[in-house]
Amino acid sequence: MKKKAMYTTLAVGFGTMLAFAAVPNNTLVSMVIGDITTLDPSQAYDTASGEGIENMYETLLGYEGRNLTNLKPSLATAWKFSSDGKTLTFTLRKNVKFHSGAVMTCTDAEYSFERHLITHDTEAYPYISDTLLGFPYWEDEQKKSVTWAQINKTAECNAAGQLVLTLPKKDPTALAKLSYIAMSIVEKKYTVGLGEWSGGEADWKNWVGKDMANSALSQKPNGTGAYRFVSRNATQQVFKHFPDYWDGAAKIENVIIQKVDELATRVLALNKGDTDIASVINRANLGQVAGQPGVKVLDDLPSSASEMYFMNQNIKEPKELGSGKFDGKGIPANFFSDINVRKAFASAFDANVIISKIFLGKGEVRTMAMPSTYLGYDKTVPVYSYDPEKATTFMKRAFGGQVWANGFTVNIYFNTGNTRRQTIAELFKANIEKLNSKFRVNVVGIAFSELLSKADQGKLSSLVGSWAADYPDSDNFLRAFYHSEGGAFKGRLSYIDPAMDKLIDQAKSTDTVAARVTLYKAIGRRAYDQVPGVLMPAQVGFLTYRDNVKGLAENWSPLASGSFGTLWKNLSK
Amino acid sequence: MLTFILRRLASLPLVMLALTLLIVGLLQFLSPRERAASFIKSENQMRNIDLIIKENGLDQPFYVQYWKWLGNATQGNFGFSKASSLPVLDTIIQRFPATLELAIFASLFIIPIAVWLGTLSALGKDKFLDQMLRVISVIGYSLPVFVVGILLLVVFYGALGVLPGFGRTDTVLAITDPVPVVTGMITIDSILAGKWNVLINALQHMILPVMTLSIIQVASTLKVMRNQLLDVLKADYVRTARAKGLSDNMVNIKHARRNAILPIVTLAGFTIQGLLSGAVITETIFSYPGIGSWGATAAVQLDYAGVMGFALFIGVIVVISNLVIDILYSFFDPRVRFD
Repeated sequence: MKKKAMYTTLAVGFGTMLAFAAVPNNTLVSMVIGDITTLDPSQAYDTASGEGIENMYETLLGYEGRNLTNLKPSLATAWKFSSDGKTLTFTLRKNVKFHSGAVMTCTDAEYSFERHLITHDTEAYPYISDTLLGFPYWEDEQKKSVTWAQINKTAECNAAGQLVLTLPKKDPTALAKLSYIAMSIVEKKYTVGLGEWSGGEADWKNWVGKDMANSALSQKPNGTGAYRFVSRNATQQVFKHFPDYWDGAAKIENVIIQKVDELATRVLALNKGDTDIASVINRANLGQVAGQPGVKVLDDLPSSASEMYFMNQNIKEPKELGSGKFDGKGIPANFFSDINVRKAFASAFDANVIISKIFLGKGEVRTMAMPSTYLGYDKTVPVYSYDPEKATTFMKRAFGGQVWANGFTVNIYFNTGNTRRQTIAELFKANIEKLNSKFRVNVVGIAFSELLSKADQGKLSSLVGSWAADYPDSDNFLRAFYHSEGGAFKGRLSYIDPAMDKLIDQAKSTDTVAARVTLYKAIGRRAYDQVPGVLMPAQVGFLTYRDNVKGLAENWSPLASGSFGTLWKNLSK
Repeated sequence: MLTFILRRLASLPLVMLALTLLIVGLLQFLSPRERAASFIKSENQMRNIDLIIKENGLDQPFYVQYWKWLGNATQGNFGFSKASSLPVLDTIIQRFPATLELAIFASLFIIPIAVWLGTLSALGKDKFLDQMLRVISVIGYSLPVFVVGILLLVVFYGALGVLPGFGRTDTVLAITDPVPVVTGMITIDSILAGKWNVLINALQHMILPVMTLSIIQVASTLKVMRNQLLDVLKADYVRTARAKGLSDNMVNIKHARRNAILPIVTLAGFTIQGLLSGAVITETIFSYPGIGSWGATAAVQLDYAGVMGFALFIGVIVVISNLVIDILYSFFDPRVRFD
């Protein structure tokens, strides 16, 4: 009898503890899927790491909400380019405190820039180094030739306590690049105290290109941001608001980022209010949370990536060509160099099928190879729509009629596991093969790394791929896609067009916004005329969160790394 | 006995060597570009793939890579795991206590429940309870771990809302009641810190993962127990015991079950291995920060150092657990000698 009573008491006690607490109003909980690589801003180049970093650290300047054309002050209150565009002077904000309690000075900013330039390795953000030193990564050649004087000259403090950056050549995209988290300001004294680079000539070479992902600073972060680091374990990061933040303490006191790999767990937790936001990823799963009591969906978020069907005009892999001639069993290496072939493929693609079937109706037809929010994006640039008759006409014209008369076999590649790209490739196959029974398209899935490396070497005939924003400037996209020398995709397209190169270079070296807009519109139209690749529709994003979280919709930014799509300081409950 | 233990322990380095060589050999089927994937965070970064391969020596012959890894490993440096963003050794130290804690709690249930149910089933052969348990057993060990985990999650966390579904404790306890890490096992650390609310909360969080790990193991072990006991019940010495006038309870429990339990002890070794492999899925479903979820992430990300470290550690655990089982066996069956 006594035993029974004891067991009953224990069971009741245990049961009463099962009243799970919803997230308190002073706390934000986010359920994410990504593993963080580092909490060292200098090394960060992924969104998972970026969430904590962008809230603990700050850059000199940034962008407001969805606006990607107007910069706003952050740790710098003003900035000015010299007349030759090679010197950039920043006036720094006064009375900004680090989480350690120290006040930020120009020395900290100088140290931060030099530290990034010296230590950034092949896994880190390359664009600041490209702008300030003229090379993206440290290779043997640079390790031998670059001197301390060069590094030291790049970022310096003047007598007025302003930060002065010296560029090897004019770069109007510099400011956009400086808004990236890799250029966050760290405290020199604190970081040196952790045993890192001294800030001087004596030991700089020891830190060149060093893997700093697990740096001392990554383990003990210290920034000027609205939140300070509390703890981190295998699945959880904890942050607390910084009472001495220069813009006033953030409303939400605590933030917990919880890694939960399983979609079912995230969905259930969101529906039950055990998390404030959860990554649902696919629109197909949206129905599991939309309409649930207390759950809100922020939809129609513009994508910050651009996807394309790449057609290689000079295929450098003989095996890729099959017979290598127009006999229905292969293609010549220059198959896509005939504009009629490219136009035929563009006219055989039905973007509406992708939007309705894959994006479940939430997609945007792109007129240019960059997000529609970017400078110079022109909605009036014509697009190729699905038109089998036009596609047939173009195919009949191609290579003097040989393509139509003899047929071909061509490969379209996608990275295995990416079902969207696989569907795009299969759609091309269906529509192209429908035009002529002698046309054959093979849809081939290969590992992502293998696909990208082969594509960059010009060894694939065609593929579906994309580019995501590194910094909010149109040059980041249009150069990558279309420039024959500096373009990241020159191997994928083998598109050599001096007129296009000239437009891209002009836009990058022009200061005035109006002139850049005109040039980018011209690039859009030339891309339509030349059709180096077929633009894919963009998926419209969404966020799923609890309805007691305020400030998310108003402050959402396509540049935010974090799961909330905005800095935590902009949120309240 | 001591000689036997030392001999078994001496074989450990050889087993480890063979295991790591096998993994290195298998990884060679992937090209350097594929193995460099773990260093890539975005598609844009692929431009540096050649530089990344060169910097990390991924283009070197496999024996050079292995020799380099072995040299570092013998000095306690097992490399840096990209999956955890920590050195491999630190990752194991940080994560293993969570897995061990789960395994201990699961083990507490698996063997006693399986022995109990197996005994009930055998003693009531072909009766309703036996039939039921046999069906349940078949269903139990036919279900994949991830199905069991998701089902339990959806029912007990999602639909009924009576049990927590993720993490080691409620998320907000990290702020309101942080527990200093001493052993890494949250139940022990919360007792050491005198935080009873955290202890109860941690025990609640363990219920679903432990159930997930236990159900399949119980199902297969009870079947073995049942069959074993049925065989023993037919043995001469059991008949003799009954003829001597001993009670059914005495014969069944003291004589028959004690002998039937011996194979279960052997099976316990496999149970530990099963728990470790089950932890890979279970920890992923319930977002439990153990070594299993790290192993899964390392494998998916082709994290070379992570996969090697994980396999090496699991290998050590399996060898040692087998040794412990062999030693335990001698206690259950005094006829067994190792000299």
